[in-house]
Amino acid sequence: HDLSWISKIQVNHPAVLRRAEQIQARRTVKKEWQAAWLLKAVTFIDLTTLSGDDTSSNIQRLCYKAKYPIREDLLKALNMHDKGITTAAVCVYPARVCDAVKALKAAGCNIPVASVATGFPAGQTHLKTRLEEIRLAVEDGATEIDVVINRSLVLTGQWEALYDEIRQFRKACGEAHLKTILATGELGSLTNVYKASMIAMMAGSDFIKTSTGKETVNATFPVAIVMLRAIRDFFWKTGNKIGFKPAGGIRSAKDSLAWLSLVKEELGDEWLKPELFRIGASTLLSDIERQIYHHVTGRYAAYHDLPMS
Amino acid sequence: MAATRAGPRAREIFTSLEYGPVPESHACALAWLDTQDRCLGHYVNGKWLKPEHRNSVPCQDPITGENLASCLQAQAEDVAAAVEAARMAFKSWSAHPGVVRAQHLTRLAKVIQKHQRLLWTLESLVTGRAVREVRDGDVQLAQQLLHYHAIQASTQEEALAGWEPMGVIGLILPPTFSFLEMMWRICPALAVGCTVVALVPPASPTPLLLAQLSGELGPFPGVLNVISGPASLVPILASQPGIQKVAFCGALEEGRALRRSLAGECAELGLALGTESLLLLTDTADIDSAVEGVVDAAWSDRGPGGLRLLIQESVWDEAMRRLQERMGRLRSGRGLDGAVDMGARGAAACDLVQRFVCEAQSQGAQVFQAGDVPSERPFCPPTLVSNLPPASPCAQVEVPWPVVVASPFRTAKEALLVANGTPRGGSASVWSERLGQALELGYGLQVGTVWINAHGLRDPSVPTGGCKESGCSWHGGPDGLYEYLRPSGTPAQLSCLSKNLNYDTFGLAVPSTLPAGPEIGPSPAPPYGLFVGGRFQAPGARSSRPIRDSSGNLHGYVAEGGAKDIRGAVEAAHQAFPGWAGQSPGARAALLWALAAALERRKSTLASRLERQGAELKAAEAEVELSARRLRAWGARVQAQGHTLQVAGLRGPVLRLREPLGVLAVVCPDEWPLLAFVSLLAPALAYGNTVVMVPSAACPLLALEVCQDMATVFPAGLANVVTGDRDHLTRCLALHQDVQAMWYFGSAQGSQFVEWASAGNLKPVWASRGCPRAWDQEAEGAGPELGLRAARTKALWLPMGD
Repeated sequence: HDLSWISKIQVNHPAVLRRAEQIQARRTVKKEWQAAWLLKAVTFIDLTTLSGDDTSSNIQRLCYKAKYPIREDLLKALNMHDKGITTAAVCVYPARVCDAVKALKAAGCNIPVASVATGFPAGQTHLKTRLEEIRLAVEDGATEIDVVINRSLVLTGQWEALYDEIRQFRKACGEAHLKTILATGELGSLTNVYKASMIAMMAGSDFIKTSTGKETVNATFPVAIVMLRAIRDFFWKTGNKIGFKPAGGIRSAKDSLAWLSLVKEELGDEWLKPELFRIGASTLLSDIERQIYHHVTGRYAAYHDLPMS
Repeated sequence: MAATRAGPRAREIFTSLEYGPVPESHACALAWLDTQDRCLGHYVNGKWLKPEHRNSVPCQDPITGENLASCLQAQAEDVAAAVEAARMAFKSWSAHPGVVRAQHLTRLAKVIQKHQRLLWTLESLVTGRAVREVRDGDVQLAQQLLHYHAIQASTQEEALAGWEPMGVIGLILPPTFSFLEMMWRICPALAVGCTVVALVPPASPTPLLLAQLSGELGPFPGVLNVISGPASLVPILASQPGIQKVAFCGALEEGRALRRSLAGECAELGLALGTESLLLLTDTADIDSAVEGVVDAAWSDRGPGGLRLLIQESVWDEAMRRLQERMGRLRSGRGLDGAVDMGARGAAACDLVQRFVCEAQSQGAQVFQAGDVPSERPFCPPTLVSNLPPASPCAQVEVPWPVVVASPFRTAKEALLVANGTPRGGSASVWSERLGQALELGYGLQVGTVWINAHGLRDPSVPTGGCKESGCSWHGGPDGLYEYLRPSGTPAQLSCLSKNLNYDTFGLAVPSTLPAGPEIGPSPAPPYGLFVGGRFQAPGARSSRPIRDSSGNLHGYVAEGGAKDIRGAVEAAHQAFPGWAGQSPGARAALLWALAAALERRKSTLASRLERQGAELKAAEAEVELSARRLRAWGARVQAQGHTLQVAGLRGPVLRLREPLGVLAVVCPDEWPLLAFVSLLAPALAYGNTVVMVPSAACPLLALEVCQDMATVFPAGLANVVTGDRDHLTRCLALHQDVQAMWYFGSAQGSQFVEWASAGNLKPVWASRGCPRAWDQEAEGAGPELGLRAARTKALWLPMGD
């Protein structure tokens, strides 16, 4: 790979902002289309809990919800009960990977467990411990690792050092999928977002992910547009399709539809599958379920109509 | 659980993830049409006018062809009734203080806000444009326009002191247009106190709805009148007595024809022609964003026309690949679908595209079409034409919607040459991440609007207009207001039409002149020759004409200039133009001041020549002094030029630039041989134009005296003075295609000819129509009107952000 890929890049901030505004207004789906798209969105969700107070009991509940994201009778009404709709993965802290693996095994399903790692969310720990964190999570059974990059390397322009670090993450992951979190809210400019995306892909990431959910600015459309364009450029240059995962701040069903159409518009239908597109979210699923309830019954659901996660 | 509402298709959609229809209900539009019994007339004086025995034209859904309503076609008497209503309304409307008009406009904005769904569904239904663009763009902008102009109206007494409304405005709109085109023009007209008669094409209900909304507001029913009718009514409306100005927007050739037919008529004419836009993509651009710019310009139902796309050769392949990829994702469909990029604009637009594409292909161009577009008529797929040979006939004509014609360029300099090498001068965008390059291109483009790294942004406070053959009328911002104002105290424009003026022979032949005896008198022999390119030259005709003083004695001989001399003078002026336009206003002022000082040194000679023309010595000296003062005043005034606008929703400034017109031809009045000459010369030069002047026919010697000083003070070619037969020189200048503007102060017939002849390159003209002007009065001799006419506006959008 070639660092010249990032040297000539130009990103025009105001123009990207305008595109971001337009893309939300130009595509909508209604009726059956909306229901089908929302169910599809469910299959993209990395159902996430990243709290200090996570214990095995709420992890277990989360895993059960991942297996049964939408009430069975609603799926039947849509004739979708046999499609095996589950979320794409559950995403937890490294210390909770064991709990999650156990709970999912008990539920009898093979939903992958994703673990954040490398000093999440700030990434400000020693490289050695960051690498060790990855290995431990993989040992515990995580098959997807969400690593955070070292933002200081981006802000000081040390692209090769960043490349080397991510290479090492890649190696530490072994068979597990590597999702690289760019923490775009802390990169300073959209040009940096593009460059960091490109470096992460060149270093072997399977996914690039917008943010940790812990920054002040999380998944936004302008940032996503820049990352998606980087993914397309990388595909054009190498023929490799890299996945995209927005995370943080995606809460409503309407938002999730906008994200789907954004990916459809910028990359095309072939990216709309769980291997190449994920949405990192915790509360989104319940809003989608409410919308499905409304679509099926014509009524707005009460809080207690839908099981909690 | 309640009964399920889900259809059977969810499974398929879950797999294909396709888009579905998002129909926007147009029930309220149909309900409104029902209130008119599906028969629309005209809206005049606050009432529906549905005269009997009129032809009617069906208003159809451009996509389904379904008949929505029938529209009565106006006849001459309906036009007269509408103009009469507007004339009556003008009396009270213009007499009210600005705040009253501001209130009315604000109330109209509120009514639009309350009934916007009706407005956007009706507009999208009948025009076929994407409802999203109408709803989120046009309707919001219409309200902003009303608010902006309400504010202008409320401050009119202070901000526009010295100006008064023209009167009744005739507005003519093209067959395919957004109702916004009407809003852009009626808002400033109404704000300053004019009233409007809009002639809209046969089947356009939205302007009628707007007129109804305005009329139902109450106290001023006749300020906005809308009649619909065929294009044959245009000359009838334009020549109605009482119409003071005709604002025309539409096709180039129709505008040209109207310019010719309105020569000498009472109404002034403002033209806004053509729809094509331009996009310059340099190799330092954010190409993906520039591709979105192309979509905004040509494939999003925002812009009215097609796009000429210039791509730097080094990024040609990459840009074309991204464009084609992006085109594949465009969706076209029924305008009332909420998820389409492009609607359809009816069969005529479709035919035009097909003809253009076939012709381009036959001339060797490659055509690429893509997108999710229904195959049946009248849908047109987004079209990208490349490799069109620049010399082919197809490359010269205007690009229709939704076609983009791409061609490569090598350097920024070449891009400017190519971009400026068309007669069109509407709008353009420049895509470059290098500030210096972007500004260089932005300043160099000969267009009315330039966006840097954006395309198609609009705001009520930013003037929008064009130059060259796109017409020189403006809307928006202060320039839009001046379109409907004239200096206070100017008499209402009268018709100077002389039916038997023969355009073919006017000024064609020069009556031969014979020697009239030797020059006598105490003063030194006057300078002889045509002042061209910085020196006195012998005329091509090698003959001279005698000039007599007030007592009938021979004062001197001046050279007899002709067509070849005009050609030479225009060439000299063009050569001097880039250098002069590039000077700072300060440097230009310094030269004008130097000329003023030279005039003062020459005061006694000038005064004695004026005396021989019959002026009192005191008055003659005063005229010389005043002339020097004029030069100094314009030099100082031009320093405060242009300004920065702040626009809602845009981070970054919009620059309102005042640019020189180019080569300006000035035919001076006979009276005030020195003062009028200098009063016209000073603003023209101060704003960076170079000039070709025809001095007073009665006494050109004063101007020639000034030329002696200009020869030493000015660079060569800045000001050129050609003496000779006035009508003949006027003819040569007015028909010259490379003269960018013309001021004519002379006979009614000459004015009529100049207006007629200007249709050739659509140069802006200012003709006195035989009315004398008080050149010694500040308002008429050095008023802001001269400054307005001596330069053109350009809006330069500079969005910022990192």
